Amino acid sequence: MAAANWPDKDDHELLALIQDGSHHAFAELVKRHTARFYGLAYRYVQSKETAEDIVQDAFLRLWENPGKWQPDRSSKFTTWFYRIVVNLCLDWQKKKRPVELDDEISLTDDRDAMDAVLIRTQEQRILEKEIGALPERQRMALNLCFDEGLSNQEAAEVMGVNLKALQSLIMRAKATLKERMKAYL
Amino acid sequence: MSDIQDEKLEAMLRSRRAESASPDLAARIILKAQGIPQIRTTSPWQWLRQLFAEYHLPKPAYVLASALILGLVIGFSTATDTTPTDNASSINIQGFLYPDEGPL
Repeated sequence: MAAANWPDKDDHELLALIQDGSHHAFAELVKRHTARFYGLAYRYVQSKETAEDIVQDAFLRLWENPGKWQPDRSSKFTTWFYRIVVNLCLDWQKKKRPVELDDEISLTDDRDAMDAVLIRTQEQRILEKEIGALPERQRMALNLCFDEGLSNQEAAEVMGVNLKALQSLIMRAKATLKERMKAYL
Repeated sequence: MSDIQDEKLEAMLRSRRAESASPDLAARIILKAQGIPQIRTTSPWQWLRQLFAEYHLPKPAYVLASALILGLVIGFSTATDTTPTDNASSINIQGFLYPDEGPL
């Protein structure tokens, strides 16, 4: 098959070919979605190497056992694969020790002495730390909805919860962050 | 005030930046997959379809096989118990075998 045809194929067609052992189809799927799933993993683990390992592991699992993908059971490849990446992130979290906030990060509002860029950098650093300290499901819900741009319904599907449960996770996460980021809001 | 805080928090959440992945990440994954064999798992239905595809049997063979299976299923599901279980039947048999002596 001509190489020019691969980008024209949708995910489901590529997956059917992967199930027949096509390396070309696998390569196309990896190129198409690596950045997206890396972004999700990175926001969760906050480490480039770990996020890359997680994405690699997820794709290699798909390659090794493509029969796990059942087109009739899963509506969308990305939703299904988000779930795999999310589960790998949660596995990683279980193996890792609990997140602790750095003591050296001060929450005092010393804005006069800092320029806007520095303030913003500090805000982002603190926000990342605070997000990292959230319960894992709240963190995942935030990542899926705010960073990956999934709808609440899609995020609920990925996390295997109903819509109300997802909304509750996001609400609690935001309430905690609002409280902890008071000085910057 | 609370609404402003909510909006600012949401803006901060949406503006989070992730460190970019290595440019060769996809290539590394693709390369690694080339050395990994695939696990072939087949469901019973797939196995059956493959079996039928492998042996190109004529249609009457399928009809015959289906009729046989159906017959077995009906036969087993409507089987009646014919083994004697009560004393009365054993007395009758004894009476038949030894008509002069009567039942023991």
